Amino acid sequence: MRFTILKAIFKKELLDVLRDRRALISMVVVPLVVFPLLIGGIARLIPAMQTRAEEEASGLNVSVRISTPAIREGLEKAGLRLVDSENVKAAVQSKSAGAGVEEFAGSPPRISVYVDASNESSSAAGTRIREILTELRDREIRDHLRGAGINEDVLTPFVIARVNVAGERKMAGALYGSLLGYLLVLLMCTGGMYTVLDMTAGEKERKTLEALLASPARRSEIVMGKILVAITSILATAVLTLGSMAYTLKNAPIPGPGAGVNAADAPVENLRQRLGTIPLDASNVGLIALIFIPLAIFAASLMFAISLKARSFKEGQTYLTPLVFVVIFPALLGGLPGLKITPALCLIPFFNASQMIHGILTGEASSANFLVTMAANLAYSAIAFQLATRMFNDEKVLFRS
Amino acid sequence: MIQVSGLSKSFTDPKRGTHLAVDNVTFDVCAGEVFGLLGPNGAGKTTTLRMLATLLKPSSGTATLSGFDIVRQPEQVRAQIGFLSGDMGLYGRLTPRETLEFFGSLNGLDAVRARRRIDQVFLMLDMNSFADVRGDKLSTGMKQKTAIARALLHDPPVLILDEPTSGLDVPTARNIEAAVLNAKQSGKCILYSTHIMEEAEYLCDRIGVIDGGKLKAIGTMEDLRRETGKQRLREIFLDLLGLAA
Repeated sequence: MRFTILKAIFKKELLDVLRDRRALISMVVVPLVVFPLLIGGIARLIPAMQTRAEEEASGLNVSVRISTPAIREGLEKAGLRLVDSENVKAAVQSKSAGAGVEEFAGSPPRISVYVDASNESSSAAGTRIREILTELRDREIRDHLRGAGINEDVLTPFVIARVNVAGERKMAGALYGSLLGYLLVLLMCTGGMYTVLDMTAGEKERKTLEALLASPARRSEIVMGKILVAITSILATAVLTLGSMAYTLKNAPIPGPGAGVNAADAPVENLRQRLGTIPLDASNVGLIALIFIPLAIFAASLMFAISLKARSFKEGQTYLTPLVFVVIFPALLGGLPGLKITPALCLIPFFNASQMIHGILTGEASSANFLVTMAANLAYSAIAFQLATRMFNDEKVLFRS
Repeated sequence: MIQVSGLSKSFTDPKRGTHLAVDNVTFDVCAGEVFGLLGPNGAGKTTTLRMLATLLKPSSGTATLSGFDIVRQPEQVRAQIGFLSGDMGLYGRLTPRETLEFFGSLNGLDAVRARRRIDQVFLMLDMNSFADVRGDKLSTGMKQKTAIARALLHDPPVLILDEPTSGLDVPTARNIEAAVLNAKQSGKCILYSTHIMEEAEYLCDRIGVIDGGKLKAIGTMEDLRRETGKQRLREIFLDLLGLAA
C-alpha cells in the first residue's frame, strides 16, 4: 500500500460523499434533524395527549346502574356526570357514555367498570373511577374496623419493600446496553449504505470506474481507500446519531407538573432521567469504540463486496436492503430475556458486538468474551476485505453488462 | 512502444456460451505514430484496448507497452499509459480541476508539477472557462475535453484513445484532433479507435481494420488502397468487411 495513493483516493471519495445529497441526508440530516424533531415531537406530544385525555375524561358522561346510595354519592361528589342506564355496556360501546359503572347484587356485591380501552379519554375516565371506588372501599373498611373497636393498623401487619441492588448506573446500562448495541448495528448499515453504493454500483453506472482502474493505483489501494471512506461515514453517522439523541433527550422541552401534566410519568422524561445515569465515561466509550471499529470494517467490506455485483445504484439497493435485516436479526437476539453470553456465542458477528456493548455498560463484560469478540470480528473484517479486493480484481464483476 | 502478439480474449456467457471477442490479434505501434483501429460495433476494438490498458486479462497471447508486459507487469504498464475509455465517465460532483488533481496524485505528480501540467492542458484544450464547474453541469464536449485532459495530464509515452471525438461537434472534435497531433509530434505512441473514417484518414499513420475479433488488414492508406483497389477509407473499410457494393 502506498500512502500517497491511499490518501488521494480517500480525499477524493470523501469529497464526493460530502457533495452527495443522499449520503449527506442519511449521514448528517437524519441524525441531526430528524431524530431531534422526532424525539422532541414525542416529548411534546405525549404529555399534551395525556392532558387532553384527562380533560376530556372529566367532561364525559358516565353510564351507571348502581343500587348502593353510598357509591352513587361518592361518584357524584368526585364531579362525575352520571347518567342512569339499563344497559351500561351498550352505552359505552355506542359511545353515548365515556365509561360505565354497573353494580351486581351478591355478597359481596360486584362492581364492573366499563371502558373503551382503544380510546384514551375513556381509559382515563375508567382509571379515575377505579381510584374513586378504591378510596370508597378503603374508607368503608376503615369505618367498620373503627366501629368494631379494631385499630386499622391490623390491615398492614408488615410492609414489603423490593430493594434493587443493581443501582441506577447498572440499570441504565442494562436498559440502554441492548438499545445502544442494536442502534449501532443498525446505523452501521444505514450510515454506510449510500456511500458504499455510490462508490461501487454508482461508479459502474456512471462509467467512471474504467479510468480509475487504468491508473497506476493498485486494486487493493482503491478498495482500501474506498472502504476507509465507508468506515468514516459509518462512524460519523453513529457519533452524530448517538450525540444528537443524548443531547435531545437531556434537553427535550417537557412541560412540568405546573402545566397540568405529571411529567414524571412521561416516557421521555423517564428516558431522560435514566440517560443521565448511563455510564458513558472515557474508558467505556473507548471499549465500545474498540468493539465497534472492526465491526464497521466488516460491515463496510461486506456491503462493498455485495454492491460491487450490482450494475446500477438501484440494483445495489435491492442487494443491500435484505442485508440490513440479516444484520439486525442477530443484534435483536441480544434482547432475549435470560440469554447468557458465552465465548462460543461471541463468534456470531453483530450479535457479539451488541452483547459486548451491553456488557460494557452493565460492567459485566468478561475479558474472555471481549477478546473472543475482538478476534472474531477482526477475522471477519479481514475475510470480508479480502473478498471485496478479490471481487474488485474480477473482470466479470467489474465489466458485468 | 506497443507490441501486440497473438492477443485473444474469450468471454463465457450463460446465454451465448463461449464467445471469442478478440482472436489472435498482432500489431505494433511506434513512438510518434498514430495507429488507427477501425471496426464495426462489437468487432473487438474496445476489448483490445481494455486488454492493453490491463483492465481485462487476455485469454492467450500478450502485449508489451514501453517494454512492460501487460500480463506480468500491469502496474508498470498503467504508469506508461494515458487511457481514454469510450464511455468518457466523469465524476459529476467534481470539477475538471479537482478530477485532474486526483489523477495527477494517482500518477505520482507532486502538487507543483500537477498544477503546472493542469494549466498546460487547460490551455491546450481551451478549458479554462469551465475548469471549476462541476462535472454534472458540463456539456458533452466539455466532458470529453476533460476526459482527454485526464489522459494527457501525466505526459505518458503511450496514449490509448477509444473514440475520443464520438458525439462531438466539429469545433470540439477539431480541438481534440489538434491535441492528438500535438501529442504525436512530441513523440507519443498513440492507439486510436474511431468510427469516423475521415478522422482516421486525416490523423492516422497506419490503420488496422478489425472485424469479428480478427484483424483483416493493417497498413498505411497506400497499403490498404493497393490491397483493396479502393480509394477512400470508407470504401476500403466496407470492402474489408465484405460489404462492398
